Amino acid sequence: MSHSTTPSPEPLALSKVVEVRHLSIAFEGPPVLQDISFTVAPGETRILLGAAGVGKSVLLKLINGLIRPDKGTVLLFGDDIFAMREDQLFALRARTGMVFQESALFDSLTVRDNVGYQLLQDPGIAEEEIDTRVRQALSFVGLAETFALYPSSLSGGMRRRVAIARALINRPEFLLYDSPTGGLDPVTSTNIIELIMKERDVHATPSLLVTHRLQDAFTLCTHHYDEESGSMVKLPKGQVDPNTSFLMLEEGNLIFNGSLHDLVHSDNPFVREFLE
Amino acid sequence: MSYPVLGRDSNPASTRPAETMALNSLDLTAKQTLLTVQEYSLFAWKAVRNLFKPPVYWTDFLLQSDIIGVGSTSIVLLSGFFTGGVLALQSAATLAQFGANGLTGRFVSLTMIRELGPVLTGVMVSGRNASSMASELGSMVVTEQIDAMRALGVDPMRKLVTPRLYSCVAMLFFLTIVADAFGIIGGGFVTVFLNHQNGTQYFSTAWEALRFPDVVQGLVKPLFSGFIIASIGCFYGMRTTGGTEGVGRATIQAVVTASVLIIFVDFIVTHLLLTLLGVG
Repeated sequence: MSHSTTPSPEPLALSKVVEVRHLSIAFEGPPVLQDISFTVAPGETRILLGAAGVGKSVLLKLINGLIRPDKGTVLLFGDDIFAMREDQLFALRARTGMVFQESALFDSLTVRDNVGYQLLQDPGIAEEEIDTRVRQALSFVGLAETFALYPSSLSGGMRRRVAIARALINRPEFLLYDSPTGGLDPVTSTNIIELIMKERDVHATPSLLVTHRLQDAFTLCTHHYDEESGSMVKLPKGQVDPNTSFLMLEEGNLIFNGSLHDLVHSDNPFVREFLE
Repeated sequence: MSYPVLGRDSNPASTRPAETMALNSLDLTAKQTLLTVQEYSLFAWKAVRNLFKPPVYWTDFLLQSDIIGVGSTSIVLLSGFFTGGVLALQSAATLAQFGANGLTGRFVSLTMIRELGPVLTGVMVSGRNASSMASELGSMVVTEQIDAMRALGVDPMRKLVTPRLYSCVAMLFFLTIVADAFGIIGGGFVTVFLNHQNGTQYFSTAWEALRFPDVVQGLVKPLFSGFIIASIGCFYGMRTTGGTEGVGRATIQAVVTASVLIIFVDFIVTHLLLTLLGVG
């Protein structure tokens, strides 16, 4: 993988996995999101920053068609998702993976059934194959031993990793992470970020990651996953990952869309305040 | 000289806003009620329609049949048995005044099969299952499990609601038969052991009194009750908002609405069937 010192905000973009156009939504009050537009290119990781309650999770749900906007469109894999019926959206959503803020694991199912949930709905897939793929996904997140456990017996960090395994098992073409490290201790957060980096660098899956932890965002920019050592490695000084860029929301508006270089040199007072 | 009239505000300007507010509130309530009825109708129609288009989750139908049917058997059996017993106790005293002790079996069987069996089963199962459906689905909504299911490409209506709906309709039918049977047995128990009457006479009059329209009436009603329990329980569960407090609220609304609707629909169906079948 090559690493550039002056990354472009639209790196290697030949086509777009996601295109958000003029998205606005309000819930019985002032607008939560106003006129939001941006794109996610193949292989690109976009980190969505912003204070708590600014509409980051709402934006993620809009992109996956889980809620509908008041105005605007989202093109997911080229399809206008708000022009589609709910039953047509299920097939499209099956091509994406989403990690929810509080994991949203099915508490009445075992880890095996949670991770293999999509596969279990397909009667054409044999139980043995499901078991194998679940074990592979759990090994990817380092939780092979939790196969038969219930979510209630896992720690917060383990639940988050199981949620990542569930999102990855069907080899998604696009990933949405909603505050995957929120509320976790620094060590567990770093483990989760390493997993996200592994998916980015090993499978080149495009993603949109919501976080309000700058440290996580910067780690994703300044490190890459080394398959040989099986861990993340810091890039040489001055280099950053060219496929990782930033978005920032403030009071429902997209106030920043660009690279790490642009972010740290931004004159926007809110960006400066957020970084400091 | 004019005097202000008691009970009426002398200043028209101050009454108008109050009247307008009351009218607006009434208008809003009426619109909200109509909207809820519309949403419920669309929800129920979608749940019914899902059976005729794949994917259909047959395993969930069996699972729900076990939870609703087998799980409710004991409460239905006990409530049927004791209701039949109470009917026999109450009726024996009244029938004795007319020298018609021998008609206790007829009274109990007709009352249980035509009315009390279906209604009682509906209300009992509603208390157990409409509440569990509303709280289970409501908890899944507030913990984003429903959103997660949708994000994984699985339709919660097909996976969660449709199996509950059809299983509940099918199981209510059989549970009502159980309630009817144990109601008649309960009546027989009281007749023989407490009223010291002839058991053979009780069971033979209970059997002879029954006509085909009575049985039809008793077995049509649970189909409606089953539909009401599952559709109302799932409807309130799936539209839960407001965290754990909202789950509690949805559960209460589901049980109250389902119980009242069961009795209301029972009245309508009874009236229709009495007209159609000519049961006197």
